[in-house]
Amino acid sequence: MRLEKCWFCSSTVYPGHGIQFVRNDAKIFRFCRSKCHKNFKMKRNPRKVKWTKAYRRLHGKDMTQDTTFEFERKRNRPERYDRNLAENTLKAIKKIDKVRSDRAASHIEKRLKVRKGKERREAQKELEQSIHLVKAPQALREDQSLTLPKIKVQVSQPKSEQNQAMEE
Amino acid sequence: MAAGKRHVLLKKPCFPPFNSRNLQLSSFPGKNLKQGRKPAALLQHQRTFIQMRTVLKVVDNSGAKKVMCIQPLKGKKGARLGDTIIASVKEAAPNGKVKKGAVVRGVVVRAAMQRGRCDGSEVKFDDNAVVIIDKQGQPVGSRVFGPVPHELRKKKHVKILALAEHIA
Repeated sequence: MRLEKCWFCSSTVYPGHGIQFVRNDAKIFRFCRSKCHKNFKMKRNPRKVKWTKAYRRLHGKDMTQDTTFEFERKRNRPERYDRNLAENTLKAIKKIDKVRSDRAASHIEKRLKVRKGKERREAQKELEQSIHLVKAPQALREDQSLTLPKIKVQVSQPKSEQNQAMEE
Repeated sequence: MAAGKRHVLLKKPCFPPFNSRNLQLSSFPGKNLKQGRKPAALLQHQRTFIQMRTVLKVVDNSGAKKVMCIQPLKGKKGARLGDTIIASVKEAAPNGKVKKGAVVRGVVVRAAMQRGRCDGSEVKFDDNAVVIIDKQGQPVGSRVFGPVPHELRKKKHVKILALAEHIA
């Protein structure tokens, strides 16, 4: 049993899933589901299709270089079954998986953090430049601290004679 | 596939040529395709069995080039990957063991229709190809071109597997 990678989206193909297409030059394309298969038939380049791993890695959205990837190399030699080895491997797989996903998550977080700072700076600039849209310049000149007006407005509608008449 | 790591694409993705061959296999209403424009129905090719009047490519050096199926042996609806058929030679090389108009038997070594494997996955090839055999099941030619599936081992066509240049 071997877990393959989908040619299009790079997700794992588990046994019993997917289609394997053998081209006449003996190149084998494995697909995890018909979505990938159909995209392939449409001759789409996975490096240009946004949701594939190939695109994400190419455009720096996902982590590309990490030592945890070294553990997942393709091995062609079958190992003789050894219970201890199997047990340790399973434990290691869990741990390596966790480490890798944590690192990948932090990579994405770092990437998105940059935007937050940028947004803050832009907001600050907008506040300084376009405050005249919100507050009259005369009022600003009088009192410099009135940049963020926080005026409480009581929203209570006393039922006057006129309102009652209008409601009817 | 490069060692299980990233899938290396060439600059110009060499996807399989998508021309209008094998149209008699599909339930596709034979629209004439203009240059470069493919109707949406073509993209939903439903590949079916190899039945009477199916033209197959011959991938050995027995002399025949194209062969038309006249009877699938076994199979009510038609032959699949790994089945034998009786065929009539439609096109042959001038000096070969097999002449045009001869009735021969062949083993389907590549089928565009997917065939389920015992691990649950499915394989499909790019075209329909056949290797000409004699009544005993021995191949007539001495070379086989292109990939062949290892379904042939179960069907006891060991000689073809031995001659093959690539086993899918």
